[in-house]
Amino acid sequence: MSDYDDDDLGLDGDGEEQQVTQTSRKGKEKARHRDDDDEEQALREDRDDDDDDEEDEDDEEEEDRGQQPKKRKRRKIAVNSFLDVYAEVSDDDEEEEEEDEEVEGFMYDDADDAVNGDTTRRQHVLLDNRRQQREEKTAEQIAKDLTERYGGIRAAPRYTGDLNDVPQRLLMPSVHDAGLWQVRVKPGRERDIVFSLMRKSIDMEYTAHPLSILSAFQRESLSGMIYVEARSQKHVQQACNGLVGVYLSKGVHLVPIEEMASLLTIKKQDVTVTYGMWVRIRKHPKYGGDLAQVIIPGDGIEDVAVRLVPRIDMNPPEETSMLDPSKKRKKAVAVVGAARPPQKLFNVEEVAKAYSRKSIISKLGGEIVFQGETYKNGFVEKDIKINNLILDDVQPTLDEISMFMSAKDGSKQDDLGIQLRDIAESSRKAAIAVLQPGDNVEVFEGEQAGIHGVVEEISGEVVTITAMGVDIEGQKLEIPARSIRKRFKQGEHVKVMAGMYTDETGLVTTVQDDKVTFLSDLSMTTITVFAKDLRIAAEVGTGTNTIGNYELHDLVQLDAATVGVIFKTERDSFRVLDQNGKVLIVKPHQISMRRDSSRAIASDAEGHELRANDNVKEVDGEQRKGRVLHTHQSFYAFLHNREITEHGGVFVARARSLVSLAPKGNALKNGGADLSKMNPAMMGGGMVGSGALGRGPRDRHIGVTVMVTKGPHKGYGGTIKDTNGNTARVELRTGNKMISIDKDKLRKIAPNGDLLFLHQNAPPGNNSSNNNNSNSNAWGAPPSWTNSGGASGGRTPFQGSSSKTPNPYAVGGGKTPAWAPGSRTPNPYAAESGKTPAWNAGSKTPNPYADGGRTPAWNVSSRTPNPYATGANAGASSGTAYGGATPARSWDASANSSSGWLGAGSDGSATPRQSSWGNDWVSAPTPAAAATPGFNVGLTPAFGALTPAAAQTPAGVFNSAASSATPAASGGYALAANDNRTLESDWLFDPAVVPHHPRIKIQLLGTHVANYLGGEYEQQKGKVIAGNKAPSGYEQTATVLFESGEQRSVVARYIAAVPPSHNGEEVLIAGGKQKGAIMVVREDPDDETVTVSSRSNPGAVFAVPKELLIALYDEKA
Amino acid sequence: MAVIPPQPRSNKLRACLLCSIVQLPSDFKRNGCPNCDDILQLKGNVDRVNSCTTALFEGVIAVVDPDNSWVAKWQRTSQKVRGIYAVRVRGRVPEDVEAELQDRGLKYRPRDQTEQD
Repeated sequence: MSDYDDDDLGLDGDGEEQQVTQTSRKGKEKARHRDDDDEEQALREDRDDDDDDEEDEDDEEEEDRGQQPKKRKRRKIAVNSFLDVYAEVSDDDEEEEEEDEEVEGFMYDDADDAVNGDTTRRQHVLLDNRRQQREEKTAEQIAKDLTERYGGIRAAPRYTGDLNDVPQRLLMPSVHDAGLWQVRVKPGRERDIVFSLMRKSIDMEYTAHPLSILSAFQRESLSGMIYVEARSQKHVQQACNGLVGVYLSKGVHLVPIEEMASLLTIKKQDVTVTYGMWVRIRKHPKYGGDLAQVIIPGDGIEDVAVRLVPRIDMNPPEETSMLDPSKKRKKAVAVVGAARPPQKLFNVEEVAKAYSRKSIISKLGGEIVFQGETYKNGFVEKDIKINNLILDDVQPTLDEISMFMSAKDGSKQDDLGIQLRDIAESSRKAAIAVLQPGDNVEVFEGEQAGIHGVVEEISGEVVTITAMGVDIEGQKLEIPARSIRKRFKQGEHVKVMAGMYTDETGLVTTVQDDKVTFLSDLSMTTITVFAKDLRIAAEVGTGTNTIGNYELHDLVQLDAATVGVIFKTERDSFRVLDQNGKVLIVKPHQISMRRDSSRAIASDAEGHELRANDNVKEVDGEQRKGRVLHTHQSFYAFLHNREITEHGGVFVARARSLVSLAPKGNALKNGGADLSKMNPAMMGGGMVGSGALGRGPRDRHIGVTVMVTKGPHKGYGGTIKDTNGNTARVELRTGNKMISIDKDKLRKIAPNGDLLFLHQNAPPGNNSSNNNNSNSNAWGAPPSWTNSGGASGGRTPFQGSSSKTPNPYAVGGGKTPAWAPGSRTPNPYAAESGKTPAWNAGSKTPNPYADGGRTPAWNVSSRTPNPYATGANAGASSGTAYGGATPARSWDASANSSSGWLGAGSDGSATPRQSSWGNDWVSAPTPAAAATPGFNVGLTPAFGALTPAAAQTPAGVFNSAASSATPAASGGYALAANDNRTLESDWLFDPAVVPHHPRIKIQLLGTHVANYLGGEYEQQKGKVIAGNKAPSGYEQTATVLFESGEQRSVVARYIAAVPPSHNGEEVLIAGGKQKGAIMVVREDPDDETVTVSSRSNPGAVFAVPKELLIALYDEKA
Repeated sequence: MAVIPPQPRSNKLRACLLCSIVQLPSDFKRNGCPNCDDILQLKGNVDRVNSCTTALFEGVIAVVDPDNSWVAKWQRTSQKVRGIYAVRVRGRVPEDVEAELQDRGLKYRPRDQTEQD
């Protein structure tokens, strides 16, 4: 009440009579309110009462207009005695009525407020006055009042602008109001929960436990919480209990009283829709996310007409053009869902072509109606609900706007003007955000247009700038932020802060209005962006050299044949220099993998090892210097030199044309190669082909089967998977467990079960020297593991012959070359497929076993596709033997290449056949090269020297195409004393086998890899009907009757023997002493060796390597 | 007592421009605005409903106890019926309503919170 009075008193009354009258009326009303209170009337009734009075008053007022004098007079008399009091309490004409309402509010709010003596007195007066007035009422009036008050429910309560006149600040919450409690809810369910609370309150109103909350509300801007008004926290919890999505456990917090009002008043700045402004379509099957321009703002509340660049499907489904328009539209929308057509301005001709001309209806004013949409000037014009438009932060890109700009035909000039203005408009908001004190800006519109200066201060939308220029230098000006844009000069170095080109830097080339074009530092292309997105920046580049998993100077594999080094990273692509020196621009997804060349070794011009990070120089050409980043296939070296500007300093060179700048291996440098160092045999376990002997990329112990002899795992067996210094990672056979363990605690398990020190008996390759009946000395050559490695290398993988997996562990104790267990030679890929398919693929991948065999990288580079050759490179000698043997589909070739070598001896004969299984012979491009000793920079003569005998042996073997020559050839070798354990390559045409052709079971192997006959016959079993040895140089073929009944001619090299599979099966021994004999399997042929005996003499059992056995079909069959 | 709309998420909900009560348009049409139909006369008049109510409102308040709720007082709905109200309503009532309010000597306060005092 006091507030009210203060208000009134504050107003300067003009002392007019009428006002006085009315004020007095107010006074009366107040008095009446008091009465009502006394009478304990319900509030609502009270209000009704007021209404009544109001009505009365209205009436009175009307009367006033008509018969003012009379009324006034009466009033005047009534309030006469208070005239002097009220003369000062006056009011405007318009407000007077409303104040009547106000009174009511005050009665509830402020009745308790302290009143000063003056007002107290006045209240009394009012009271009295009021009573007087009531008494003045006629009986009819009173009766009417009463009926209205109690006489039933009125349909529409009279609208009263309750509390309308109380300033909001007076409604601030007080301590007497209930508290607001913040309740955490599931984001997105706020509104539902508020509704639920409402319903729940109503439902439980008349139950035993009604809810005690007063209200609950939610704001869109306050996600994840609702506010409940209640007297206590308990009430809130009680109300929210059981509602889905309310997180009561997160606590119910009381909102501080001073924050309550702001919860209801905070709001987003409203964006008013204006003509020409840019908006974005929120959700639309076709135009979602597209930029649009407002052409008719409407009332800014509901529908807004916008124009958009149309997306018309220019490849309509056939039937569309036949259907009637309504169906067509439906269809079009459905089609659009999948992939929406690109934005393109409406072109009548094009559309007529794609659809029918009939579907296009031209209207006056250049409007075209097509599929129910209106097109004008190439745009589609649509009415969109404002809810479906994004008005804030539209950020049109230059591309989008230029699309609108491009439609000039038919557009009026002012249209264009609007567009230009709106670009500025659209960036206005952002401009405020992006301006910073110190920015160079210019004023582009308004009175101060043209002035430029430096931003001093930004407050709201007003920016203070210090002007620069001749006559106004140093003046401070206040300019609306919207009229300012950033200013850039040509030659300035800028950085893009936002948008598509974020983080690009470059030099400004041209500035046109608010569009700045700069030359990107990175891509050397020109980029045009809005000035607002730019900032002057000193730094160059993206600041990051990493995109995805790849970074600068990574060696990456692009496709099967291409690798390259990233020499530059751009925003979302790389520049890659490939091994041929070509520059490619690739996206991260085009990179198939990153290559790790840190372990790769190439040999340089002097035969030295060349590794990453070596500093080298070209010996020829430009003699460029550089640091080796990567080597690839021992052939290419990617170098980097900061001083070279081209390609970021990265260039590619051949490894063999490089020399190391660092003086290393001096001894070797002198006088070319030191053959004794190169000679693996002499090196005693050293490496071949590299100056850095003994620095193989992998420890040779990897793959060795070991036993733990000390520590908690004592007694466990396992395989060394990795080594690091003196520790080894051992995969235990039990529990599939990896442990790290000191190498000293490991003992190698010899095939015969003996435990040997890891280093004791030479590297694993030497295992072959554990062959039953051979030792390294038997070679008569230096007992180097390499040598024997060769021998075994030749054998090992083939133990299984036709079998798929040469399982080294399956080797039977006595018979098998002991070497197998420790062997690392078997190519696991070969093993898995039985056809070494991986090899081809792997022709680019260094064979791990090559590494395992400590093969120097050169071998890899030789690109020999033969894994065995690679594996065998453990010892160069044997490697060559293989290399020679491998290609030996034609015997001559193999003879040639082998002959110069330490013969693989007996293996020699075995190998070729293997290789026929083992790999696609055709794809082996240059086996000879691989084998050729000369390859290694003439390092190899020593080999020849080592094994003169071998030279003869294989020759003999191969010359006698009959091929059983092996034993003879290897006669001098301990190893040769072994039974031949593998089938010869042309076993099929062995005279001892040929008679049995109709019975032997064969299968086709290796066709998948070679894609022979599409691989369809892979593993098809059958028997040979006819087969003849072709003259050398021609492919051997045989006619095979498959079990499926089909009969066809097959290249012999894909024909493999089917090994016996069960006890009692008849087998043909296709090699060894008993070649040609038919035996019966007496034990399940699970092992590498199979126990057989003849039918005639079952007691005389032999153990024959499984590979030598060919299963036979039953005789009848 | 206003009709509580059954579907809180419905985008069909409309708020009265005068008192900010939220209802379905059908309810507005059937029963009029429970607070201000006397002046808006929405009952049975679809056009009137469309012009005097709007779907553009933000924030909903469940006013359970209008007489004692500070929220209702602050929102100036404490003399109104119980029901769901909007925190903020965009738009103004039609001019004739404004004129009518003025005739009645009532001050029109738009519900869009643009005017603060």
